[in-house]
Amino acid sequence: MSTQLWALAVVGTVVLAAACLEVFRSRRARARTLGAVAEAAGEPYVLYFTGDGCTVCRTHQEPALEKLGPVRIDKVDAVAERELADRFNVYTLPTTVVMSPQGRALHVNYGYATAPKLQRQLDEARGALQVATA
Amino acid sequence: MATQLVDHSALKVNQTGIIATVLVAFIGSAFYRPLLVLIPLLAIVLLVGTFAPQLALFKQLYFKVLKPRGIVKPRPVQDRPEPHNFAQGLGGVFLAVSSVLLITVPVLGLALALLVAVLAFVNLAFGYCVGCQIYFQLSKAGVIRAS
Repeated sequence: MSTQLWALAVVGTVVLAAACLEVFRSRRARARTLGAVAEAAGEPYVLYFTGDGCTVCRTHQEPALEKLGPVRIDKVDAVAERELADRFNVYTLPTTVVMSPQGRALHVNYGYATAPKLQRQLDEARGALQVATA
Repeated sequence: MATQLVDHSALKVNQTGIIATVLVAFIGSAFYRPLLVLIPLLAIVLLVGTFAPQLALFKQLYFKVLKPRGIVKPRPVQDRPEPHNFAQGLGGVFLAVSSVLLITVPVLGLALALLVAVLAFVNLAFGYCVGCQIYFQLSKAGVIRAS
């Protein structure tokens, strides 16, 4: 039985270390990506990094994006467009980036982002636009 | 993007089979040590199933028994099978390494097998496939050519 308990302890440690590493990795990638530049548009839009091997993109992310209503969504194949994916430090799929009208990254979500979260980020981006134009 | 219909119920049955087998080996070996033989057997099942899908035990259980009898309903999704096969193969490799470790360092062998079950559970419960993410990284790095 002690072998099983030791094995459980090892797995627990590995899972905890992996979770901490993931948090650190996403924070570092987010810090590097905020402010990254892409194409400018008249209003806030979403850069959506996906790939043909990404199941969560199809089952979760795309239905969430469809709930956002009228907003421009630029779908990017992260494997085919590596330069753009590297610029936004895309290390996991899906990745969504809420862009300002000037084409600057305002919010970066590594992994599945829910519709309310994306909507909030878009509203913030629109609010910032209204403040800037007032 | 070259996608096709992939029955995700078959993937879920496969993940359930992996979790159940590892758990039986893990818990059962505390009382009856020969049950550890399930780990190398599972490694063989996963590796053989990766290269010859018609021999994938759990998927065939789904296609030949569970689906025809309506026990598990099909869930076809536009997807690519390659990342899932890659993830399954990776699981098989880890279990093969685990099988060797079971002879030399049993604690690490069991831990590695349990880790495979944990990752299968994460995929089953949350839809997050670690093997598929590794497949993406390798595709991005050009190590694997995405067709």
